Amino acid sequence: MTGFQQAAAAIYLAAGIAALLGLVLPSPRLTRLAVWGLGLGAAVHMAAFATLHELQPVPQLTDLPYAISFMAWIAVISLLVLMWRLRLAELTAAVGPLAFLAAFMPSMGILAGSEGTGLPTGGTMPHAHVLLSSAGLGLLGISGLAGIFYLLEHRRLKSKRLGKGGFRLPSLEALDRVNVSALVVGFPLLSLGLITGSAWLYGASGQIWVWSPHAIWTLVGWGIYAAMSLARFAGHQGARQAAAAAVGGFAFLLFAVIGVEVLR
Amino acid sequence: MKVLLLGMSHRSAPVEVREHFAAEGDAFEEALRKLVGHPEITEAVLISTCNRVEIVVTSQNASEARLRLENFFRSELGGNAPVPGGGDLDDHLYFHADQNAVSHVFRVASSLDSMVVGEPQILGQMKDAYRASVEAGSCGPILSRLFQRAFATAKRVKNETRVAQRPVSVARVAVELARQIFENLGDKKALMIGAGEMIEAALFALHREGLHSLRVANRTRARAEDLAQRFEASAHGLEDLDALLKDSDIVLSCIGGSGYVLEVEAVERATRARRNNRPIFLIDIGVPRNIDPAVDDLDSAFLYDIDNLQEIAFANEEERRRESQGAEKIVLEEQERLEGWMVALRAVPTIRHLRARAEAVRQAELEKSLGKMDLTDSQFERVEALTRSIVNKLLHRPLARLGAQTDREEGLVILEEARALFGLDDSDAPGSEVDSEVDSEDSAEGEGSSSTGTEGSESK
Repeated sequence: MTGFQQAAAAIYLAAGIAALLGLVLPSPRLTRLAVWGLGLGAAVHMAAFATLHELQPVPQLTDLPYAISFMAWIAVISLLVLMWRLRLAELTAAVGPLAFLAAFMPSMGILAGSEGTGLPTGGTMPHAHVLLSSAGLGLLGISGLAGIFYLLEHRRLKSKRLGKGGFRLPSLEALDRVNVSALVVGFPLLSLGLITGSAWLYGASGQIWVWSPHAIWTLVGWGIYAAMSLARFAGHQGARQAAAAAVGGFAFLLFAVIGVEVLR
Repeated sequence: MKVLLLGMSHRSAPVEVREHFAAEGDAFEEALRKLVGHPEITEAVLISTCNRVEIVVTSQNASEARLRLENFFRSELGGNAPVPGGGDLDDHLYFHADQNAVSHVFRVASSLDSMVVGEPQILGQMKDAYRASVEAGSCGPILSRLFQRAFATAKRVKNETRVAQRPVSVARVAVELARQIFENLGDKKALMIGAGEMIEAALFALHREGLHSLRVANRTRARAEDLAQRFEASAHGLEDLDALLKDSDIVLSCIGGSGYVLEVEAVERATRARRNNRPIFLIDIGVPRNIDPAVDDLDSAFLYDIDNLQEIAFANEEERRRESQGAEKIVLEEQERLEGWMVALRAVPTIRHLRARAEAVRQAELEKSLGKMDLTDSQFERVEALTRSIVNKLLHRPLARLGAQTDREEGLVILEEARALFGLDDSDAPGSEVDSEVDSEDSAEGEGSSSTGTEGSESK
């Protein structure tokens, strides 16, 4: 398991570096290679989770490092699916290093045993909660990273200094579609994750909510995404504002999931 | 055999001179046939584009070939008419020989000698020129090899450098910018304001990029209709602009008159009406400007005027020039490779000559010896095979070495030494003279045969 996680982490890092070089040099060949690397990393990462399932019929996904690693895997798979239709290869430069950190986390022992809910982790509900929430967060993470790229490209196009540097980012339209797709798929998954979390809590303690810092921040983050979806689909929010909101929202959720644990 | 090139280009001759000497159609192939009909020209390829007219030939006699080529320019290409604008033809011509000629052809194919460095058309034009010369029967093995390597060099330059990657024309820059805003141009709608030449060029560029939903709006509707008809676009008057703006993704304006055709308020209304504030890309190439510059302050509107586009085009051109330094290295590598091949080509007659002589010696010795022996057919065949094997083994190393070394510069020295060592003069005709030499060296060769025969069998 650890070996596969480490191998996946190494491949992600290599893919990220290759994509970064492909962006800076710029070299489309290197960028394409990076995408293949990301795909290979995802395959090895999947093998890591398959091994985990073999070793423990009830996988320890409720451990925060494993949940984050799983979240990164979902994010990578989502990006690869989106790349099937859109020119987003340059996003590998950001996704690769972050996926490396996430995949390497279980091996480093960072945040190990930090979940600390004290609730029983057996059964379907805890894992449904972790899987759905991680998938939702993974997608929203991709949306946040695409948002950063969107803001950079928007600024570049407005500055009209495209002649210098020579690197090329994905088109604004493609980056905006990532934002929309993440909201359409990711937000419902995160919502289901919260519902299954409440069900888990209810089954274990008879309560549907507990006022822990982790729960509060996650709820506030979910609220931010609810507002984002509302503004995007019911209101007249522009693509740039949506990108900025995705970046802010993801930063906030990262803090809710990881930052709170680190500060505790 | 020498490779020679005589020509004129945008660097050496103005357009009126170049167009005077340009060759087209049937005249092209006929001219080539005539050229290779002269004894001093063995192969010829004629390149004739709007920016250059060049003849590449191979010849044994460079000075005579040069005169022939100059005459060819005057009579066949220029029709013996005076050079437009006065002056002498020689003032506009350049001449390259051997390495310089090869380098020049490689640089031209790689678009390093083009008016716009990195422009892709020249490679296609050179391929056409090569094809025409093959069809005319004027292209032989050396020029075939030269042009194939030139095309390979151009491909390497394109793949390994960024010489051709960045657009340098205003129309291409606009299309490239549109690609950075929109993922797919095929499903976008474009609005052209005006009906002049610039609009026509832009329509052509966008149509070629797969953008088919095109609208043309002009003050004079009849002119808009005329232009629209040619590009399967719809024609409108300027009064329709507000309605058209709402679903236009790309707007290109180049129309005369004072005052803005598109005010910021109109564009703001249009962007608000668009689903999810989809971006709109506006290109204003009119002078005076047609679109209010304040439009660029709108979040989802990207406005580029002619200065912005030209600045990007200029920066891209600078970048291409910088990249061309790397491309020059590739040209040099490929040039050396081709030169190696050409030197190796010189070894072929020597190798053939050496083989012929060895075979003649073997035959002569065999005849002499077999006459004194009484052998059965199978014994005869075995002796024949033995002598052939000895000769082959003796020649194998020197011939392999000649073939391997002559693709380098020092290979020429080895080639010369081999010719001197084996007495292979150019005037030496393989066959009869070999026989006489064999006779005169009879005793020495006989001794050599026995000793080398032993070597040969040992090496088995």
